[in-house]
Amino acid sequence: MTAAVSISGVSIGFGPVTVIDDLSLDVPTGTTFGVVGESGSGKTTLLRAALGLQGVKRGEIRLMGELFGGSLAETRRRARVIQPIFQDPAAALSPRCRIGVLMDEVAKVLGEPRDSLRQRLDEILRRLGLPRAILDKYPHQISGGQARRAAIARALLMRPRILAADEPTAGLDVSVQGELLNLLQELRQTEDITLLIITHNLAVVRLIADRVAVMQSGRIVEQGEANAVFARPHHAYTRELLNSWPATS
Amino acid sequence: MTARWFRILRDRNGRLGLLFMGLVLLLALSGLILGADPNRIDIPQRLAAPSFAHWLGTDNLGRDLTARISAGTRSALTLALLIVAASAFLGAVIGTAAGLFGRWLDWVVTAIFDTLSAFPALILAFSLVALYGTGRQTFVILAILIFMPQFGRLARSRAQALRHQSFVEAERLLGVHPLVIVLRHILPNIAGPLIVLAGMNIPVVITFEAGLSFLGLGVQPPASSLGTLIKDGFIYMSESWWPTIGAAGTLAFATLGSTLLAETFRDILDPKSATDAEGRA
Repeated sequence: MTAAVSISGVSIGFGPVTVIDDLSLDVPTGTTFGVVGESGSGKTTLLRAALGLQGVKRGEIRLMGELFGGSLAETRRRARVIQPIFQDPAAALSPRCRIGVLMDEVAKVLGEPRDSLRQRLDEILRRLGLPRAILDKYPHQISGGQARRAAIARALLMRPRILAADEPTAGLDVSVQGELLNLLQELRQTEDITLLIITHNLAVVRLIADRVAVMQSGRIVEQGEANAVFARPHHAYTRELLNSWPATS
Repeated sequence: MTARWFRILRDRNGRLGLLFMGLVLLLALSGLILGADPNRIDIPQRLAAPSFAHWLGTDNLGRDLTARISAGTRSALTLALLIVAASAFLGAVIGTAAGLFGRWLDWVVTAIFDTLSAFPALILAFSLVALYGTGRQTFVILAILIFMPQFGRLARSRAQALRHQSFVEAERLLGVHPLVIVLRHILPNIAGPLIVLAGMNIPVVITFEAGLSFLGLGVQPPASSLGTLIKDGFIYMSESWWPTIGAAGTLAFATLGSTLLAETFRDILDPKSATDAEGRA
């Protein structure tokens, strides 16, 4: 089966500094894949490269087996394959546009009639537990949790094959974290989506990931089935990470 | 949306700004309504105090000050609005392009802005006058060259900051057309500070025009301008202070009014401030 995300020999640098060094990784289709590592390990840079926001010095990144360029047509093709959920979803919603306007933009990108999109949107809002009145609000008028769900709703409208979440539980209290993770898991199963989760939070990965890759200084030091990696970590850095996270022990 | 604009009436500064600008506009139009000739000389009536015949008195040649200040205000407001609008538009377009696309374009634009800003305004004025002669057209070109870099730099720095904001990246990743991103998501976030700067610059352009007119580089006699009125009034201050007070007072009202309105517009254009009263969901 084609990997949802296939990263081959990718190196990324900023001037003389190499952030990602000859990294290769396959994210199997239909799984929840966690990439963990401490701050500065290169997780977010890797995600940005997969999204097309960051160029690579060497190597290639394929999404559902395809390579994507930087033109508008290619960006739109990529947008139907992968959508991000940003660390601060409220900041990912344009502050001077009502939520409804932001949702309607998807219709224009997809070339879908607005009525048809609104029907799909109603269903998505219902599933995410968001009131329809939210469409008339500005991002600053809704709560952080609602903004997060609104950003997910917008991503889902694109019918992506991959959802890439950067620190999806950052800044949320424990009960809301649980709700969000359950929601993401449910979406993965019902929408047949591959879920790529980038986080430093081992508890999140342990809870929902099927497979996990551990990053250190721009390299993957260990990867495998999540349960196996957590139960029997082979690399010293993985053991160090697990030991430094009391909640997971 | 319409209700948002009514906030201008609920805001104390907005009401004051409207009042001041209303008075200035009324004065600007009064000359047209009354039909008095601003250039009609009447030596026996020189430096007369306000009366029923001459509401704001007369100047050193006996010309009606109401008509002259009215004509000067019309000229000053027209020039200021034209220059500020053109400077803001050009600055916003060039600065936003430089901020968003970066690389060589940013380098070239920054170099031009820096050169124009570093060039002393008076030297630039003398150079342009030497090349093209005095007159409104020369003054408009000169003023746009002088004021445009401020708007350009502001737009450039705001665009640079916005380019990497999550919401702009989210739009790009969605495949939204770059022009839509600029028009719907970037320019509205730049417009607030630009409008305030424009409002603040209207009185500056008026005084700049007055200064150049004083040097004989701006509006040419017998056409009236607030600058020449203040200058002429200042010469005869010991005999009558009406010419100075009328023109300077109009300039002060225009300055205060446009500044207060600009600040109110900034608040109105910010949905965060505009919708706070609606509360959170």
